[in-house]
Amino acid sequence: MHRRLFLQGAIGAGAASLMSWNGLFSAPAFAAEVKKQQKHCILLWLCGAPSQFETWDPKPDSIYSGPFRSIPTKIPGVRFGELMPRCATIADRLSIVRSMKTKQGEHLQAINLLQRGAEPREPFVRPTLGSVLAQQLGHLDSPIPNFVLLDPCPEGNEFKEFKAGNWAGWLGAQYGPVRAGGEYKLEDVTRLADETTQDQEQREALRRFLTRKYENDHASSAASSQNAVFSRVKGLMSCADLFDLDKVKPADRERYGPGTFGLHTLLARNLVEGGAPFVMVANGMPWDCHVFQHEIYQMLVPEVDRIIYHLITDLEQRGLLDSTLVVMMGEFGRTPWLNAARGRDHYPDAWSLAMAGSGIKRGAVVGATDADGVDVVGQAFNEKNLFATIFTALGIEPYAEYTERDIATFYRVEEHAPPIREILA
Amino acid sequence: MNGRIALSSAAARDATADAPGSLRPGGATAARSEPQTGPASPAAAGARPQSNNGPTPAASNGPGVKLVAGREISLPTAVLAIDAHPDGKRLYAACFDGGVYEVAIETGALRRLGKHDSYASGIAYAPRSGRLISAGYDGTLRWIDPAAGTQVRCVEAHKFWSWKMRVSPDERLVASVTGQYMAGGYKYEPAAEQEPSVRVLDAGTGKLLWSFSHVPPVQSVAFSPDSRYIAAANLMGEIRIWDVQSGKQQAGWTTPDFTCWGIIKSHHYVGGIFDLAFTPDGRELLGCGMGPMVDPMAGNGKQTWQRFAWSESPARKGGEIAEGDAGRGLMEAITFHPDGRSFVMAGKLAQGKWSAALFDATTGRMLHAVDTKMRTTGAVWLPGGAHLALCGATSQERKKNGRCPDFGHIKLYDLAVTG
Repeated sequence: MHRRLFLQGAIGAGAASLMSWNGLFSAPAFAAEVKKQQKHCILLWLCGAPSQFETWDPKPDSIYSGPFRSIPTKIPGVRFGELMPRCATIADRLSIVRSMKTKQGEHLQAINLLQRGAEPREPFVRPTLGSVLAQQLGHLDSPIPNFVLLDPCPEGNEFKEFKAGNWAGWLGAQYGPVRAGGEYKLEDVTRLADETTQDQEQREALRRFLTRKYENDHASSAASSQNAVFSRVKGLMSCADLFDLDKVKPADRERYGPGTFGLHTLLARNLVEGGAPFVMVANGMPWDCHVFQHEIYQMLVPEVDRIIYHLITDLEQRGLLDSTLVVMMGEFGRTPWLNAARGRDHYPDAWSLAMAGSGIKRGAVVGATDADGVDVVGQAFNEKNLFATIFTALGIEPYAEYTERDIATFYRVEEHAPPIREILA
Repeated sequence: MNGRIALSSAAARDATADAPGSLRPGGATAARSEPQTGPASPAAAGARPQSNNGPTPAASNGPGVKLVAGREISLPTAVLAIDAHPDGKRLYAACFDGGVYEVAIETGALRRLGKHDSYASGIAYAPRSGRLISAGYDGTLRWIDPAAGTQVRCVEAHKFWSWKMRVSPDERLVASVTGQYMAGGYKYEPAAEQEPSVRVLDAGTGKLLWSFSHVPPVQSVAFSPDSRYIAAANLMGEIRIWDVQSGKQQAGWTTPDFTCWGIIKSHHYVGGIFDLAFTPDGRELLGCGMGPMVDPMAGNGKQTWQRFAWSESPARKGGEIAEGDAGRGLMEAITFHPDGRSFVMAGKLAQGKWSAALFDATTGRMLHAVDTKMRTTGAVWLPGGAHLALCGATSQERKKNGRCPDFGHIKLYDLAVTG
């Protein structure tokens, strides 16, 4: 059941008392209504930080321009990098922000900033976007995890360090990600062949009893979180097919491309279609091209172009685009100037990202940078503006105060930073 | 447009460590050394730098040699490739801005002769025809009359970039290689080519003679000294050799030592063979690049070359850079001295002491090395072999007073005898 609908009292207590949770969802009219109102978010996390110049904000006339040219898009006067021809044809369904300006130029700090939406305030750990959305958009009883992280790369330098950290922060581990993809296969989610349903239920009842007893005896929030996580993993048994690349239609695989990022984005589409509120797709940290930028971007950018195109098109064709927010970003941008290795270095001063779908205006291009892309011209936006935009687009109150115990005063978006209104529908 | 000459070469210091203040041959300092233009080897002026002399020990038992930093010419844009005019007074440069330039060594004056629509990546002067042929990331080959400063022909050789272009020693053929790295598998193996990766054209008419298949991206190409064979190598370390008389593939093998699959940051392939050179007798082929890295985008793989007896079946690795000689960094240029007794390999230094080094052609022993303080992308011996010209780029910088500081460089080195 939709947690927010429940909390808002959208369902009458009488109705709830008459039906089990499963019963609620088996009522077609209710299920359809919930599905209609369910919001989703897919974050294509371009970790390592993609260059704005080869994607959303090309500067073909600049001396700093690389070998890639620019191409016109569906929006008159707006050009993308030449490696994004498919996105150029759906530019009228995207919104581009070309005036991001943040303050962290090192990966780990910047990943934290763009994943959590605010600078750290130790010892408190702010939950990541995925955890907040899992809490706000998640179902109480959905077998599909409320936060799925698809990332095939077990390493990733600073991203690896981030991944090993605390995603859910003060919300608790139950809002952390279930990780799958590549090396992280969902093993052991299939019931053993010789185990009957009755056996399984009895074992589960015993595990639940013992865990609850331990929680009560020791007042352990950790045990409580672990119990929640176990329950979630147990739920995975019923939706394991959604994670199985072997069960993806070959035609879909063909369209999204053979690389892991495309395949996992395809899984994200299927998971959202199956009801997942938040799916984050990452692929290690491939965009950090201090060297070999031209050599790698000629492959990476066409791949992400293809993926974005098919994801947006598929969501639209399935009637899911209006309820699914797609965010495409990294943790900062790249320098206008090429280094001696012909790569671009970290650059948080002026960079771009793209969004589409739920709550987002179609075909908006917001903000601008100067002729060489060195600085933002006009209003700049930071991570707080971005998070306010995401929450607003998904119908979540951006400035709600966190009420978890034992934390200082925190808000979902700090400093009452306004959303990027120009891209809100 | 003018290049800027720097007569001092503090930035291009000797990396194989003579004591500070050591005398250079003849008492000349690098600041005052002048390019010598007289022929000093069997490869006389007027012919493309090549030699059929059998390789003999360059310095094993006799006097040593060293590269002495000489004139530096700064350009406002990066230089990806260079060639030399037989008079030894002019160089031709292919640049980031698409420009094809004539560079006067003495004054540093630049004269733009042609223009590509993207990076100009290859350049070759054909003395007999007096034509200049350039290649670019716009996929075109362009024939230029340097005397008139006019383009006489433009041929679209590829839909994608020309990574490298070479003219055959007999000046009859021009070869260009292309290919975009596209994801072709779950591990980002390169996808099959969308167009033939290797094109061979008639250097006189521009007519397409051969199209050869390879696995893209194909980043390097070379002609054998007798102009009969071409070799081309790719990202995956796969080398193929064709007979350009029959069009038949003569050899094909893969070396795993130039390519890595990303483990740390990303799962894809990086590296490859960036330049090739046949030995003067044509029997062996040298390739250069960078060894595997743990972090595929650190640029700190082993500086490396390998040589192969390509006509043996299977091709046999005949040697490689000595472990103690190699630092870390991408090597992008390899070329034999006109006398055939040594070769130079140059690139970018990531860790270690040198970015350009001279090796004995027979033993593979490093003879001398220098740090060029730039990403070196091209190398050419001036006629006679007394001077080496290296081209490349340093980092672009923020604009100052509305202008980006020069970041392209041509650096000349004198080949001096020591001991």
